[in-house]
Amino acid sequence: MIPEQVTAAARSIRRDIIEMAYRSAAPHVGSALSCVDILATLYFCVLRLEPWGSRDICILSKAHAAKALYATLAAKGIMPAEMLASYCRQGGTLPAHLDRATGHGIECSAGSLGHGFNIGLGMAHGFKLQRTDRRVFAVIGDGESQEGSIWEGALFAPRLELDNFTAIMDCNNLQGYGRATEICSFEPIVDKWRSFGWHVCEADGHDHGAILAAVAEDSGGKPKIIVARTIKGKGVSFMENELVWHYFIVTAEHRARALEEIG
Amino acid sequence: MRNSFINTILDACRTRDDIFILSGDAGLGVFDRFKEEYPHRFRNMGIAEQNTISFAAGLALTGYKVFVYNIIPFVLYRCYEQVRNDICYQDLPVVLVGIGSGITYAPMGMSHYSVEDLGLVQTLPNLVTISPIDPVEARAAAVYALDSVRPLYVRLAKRGEPSFCVNAITDITAPNIIREGAGTAVVFHGSIANEVVAAHDVLQASGVAPLLISVPTLQPLAAEALLGILANVQQVICVEEHFVNCGLGSILARLKAENSARWGLTTMGIPAQFIHEVGSTEDLRASYAIAAADIVRTVVALQGE
Repeated sequence: MIPEQVTAAARSIRRDIIEMAYRSAAPHVGSALSCVDILATLYFCVLRLEPWGSRDICILSKAHAAKALYATLAAKGIMPAEMLASYCRQGGTLPAHLDRATGHGIECSAGSLGHGFNIGLGMAHGFKLQRTDRRVFAVIGDGESQEGSIWEGALFAPRLELDNFTAIMDCNNLQGYGRATEICSFEPIVDKWRSFGWHVCEADGHDHGAILAAVAEDSGGKPKIIVARTIKGKGVSFMENELVWHYFIVTAEHRARALEEIG
Repeated sequence: MRNSFINTILDACRTRDDIFILSGDAGLGVFDRFKEEYPHRFRNMGIAEQNTISFAAGLALTGYKVFVYNIIPFVLYRCYEQVRNDICYQDLPVVLVGIGSGITYAPMGMSHYSVEDLGLVQTLPNLVTISPIDPVEARAAAVYALDSVRPLYVRLAKRGEPSFCVNAITDITAPNIIREGAGTAVVFHGSIANEVVAAHDVLQASGVAPLLISVPTLQPLAAEALLGILANVQQVICVEEHFVNCGLGSILARLKAENSARWGLTTMGIPAQFIHEVGSTEDLRASYAIAAADIVRTVVALQGE
């Protein structure tokens, strides 16, 4: 059962993303909206965050969607909500891509694609060796999955039996300048990961219940990847599945329409 | 040099349980003892350098002191961005142990040489860089590495080098006087030490011995200490088995300019070019005029001026 608060949190996160994008005139709003439901489900239903010193780790490897993580951390009370106002602005403390020095729940620096996933594997292995039950979740993109480093890690992780590691692929089939399925031989992506020895689940990446069920699925000792089928720009009709909203800037008019739709 | 460094690390594992060693399908036999004694703290990461460096950063984030061992191109070049973003940017205690500095691996070919790595490390803030000349400095570098909480790159040649240090080393971050002399100083780092010391032997016999100064820690440079040692020197000759345009020579040129130092500076190194010539390390050193005879000639010429 999904607590009502996840739906409410997702709405609040989407509103904050639009506000941050408008105030900062920064891009990647579609990328952020795409992974809101994944992050909201993780932070409000999945991650064990108490005590903080032995918390589960969530790494946003597709860090150009940083707005979504900042807003989620604020909604969860890990990051002071007033910090969001300084996102991407002169003298502010929240850069467009993640800097671990920010603190307040930013677990690792990221921005260049294909780094956070592999850092997460290292952390998961460290936790295993320390015999803790801490888990690591890494949110990656489908565009990001064109990086060779992702596949180096994909080959390697099953050998370590990292059943405390879960990657969630925000699979919106829309990257900066095209569709993954048109740029490269992307599909069948589920088969590819399965053949590498991963436990693979597929889920609607906007269905909190489906994401939760996939997270709960027993991986049989393997690392897990959830291929979350998503819509870029989800929640704002004129942004949904539109290439331009990787880079377009939110104007006052866009903001008003978007907030009205999100509610 | 390599064995001196590695054995110091392995010895420390007896009393420390936070040390983790990653190798990239390299170092045949080097870690056999460690693998047997501590199977859960060693891993061959295979031929996957990007994953190796990011994975090391992840282990460091969980509290491990991580050593990554490979030939230099595979700890620094192939995975430069992982070193930059994951280790240096996050300021994590990962030690990159690079083997095969300079043209140690001649005649393996350009892909296996490391003649520009110091150019790369100068673009990597937070990365402390040590280039030992012999097993004594290598051991001191290992002791330093064990206590360091910062990113560290140790640039080693191979095994079997003789020792040149006369005294024990108390501070690997300081310049290290290897042989006494006056008027001219030869400043160097890394595996070229045997050529420099051989040149000194010849020059001493002629009564014109230069001061020999090893600079093991190239980043950050102990600038004040080095300027102090060079205070009464007229000429400085920098010798390195490295591209001449981006190594210690250029670091010294900046030091000289920024401090209006009065000493003259001559840089000896390998010209920045791809090496197509096939030959041993000694052949190539002679070819690029950084062998003992070239150092002797340069010192004599400068002293004659």
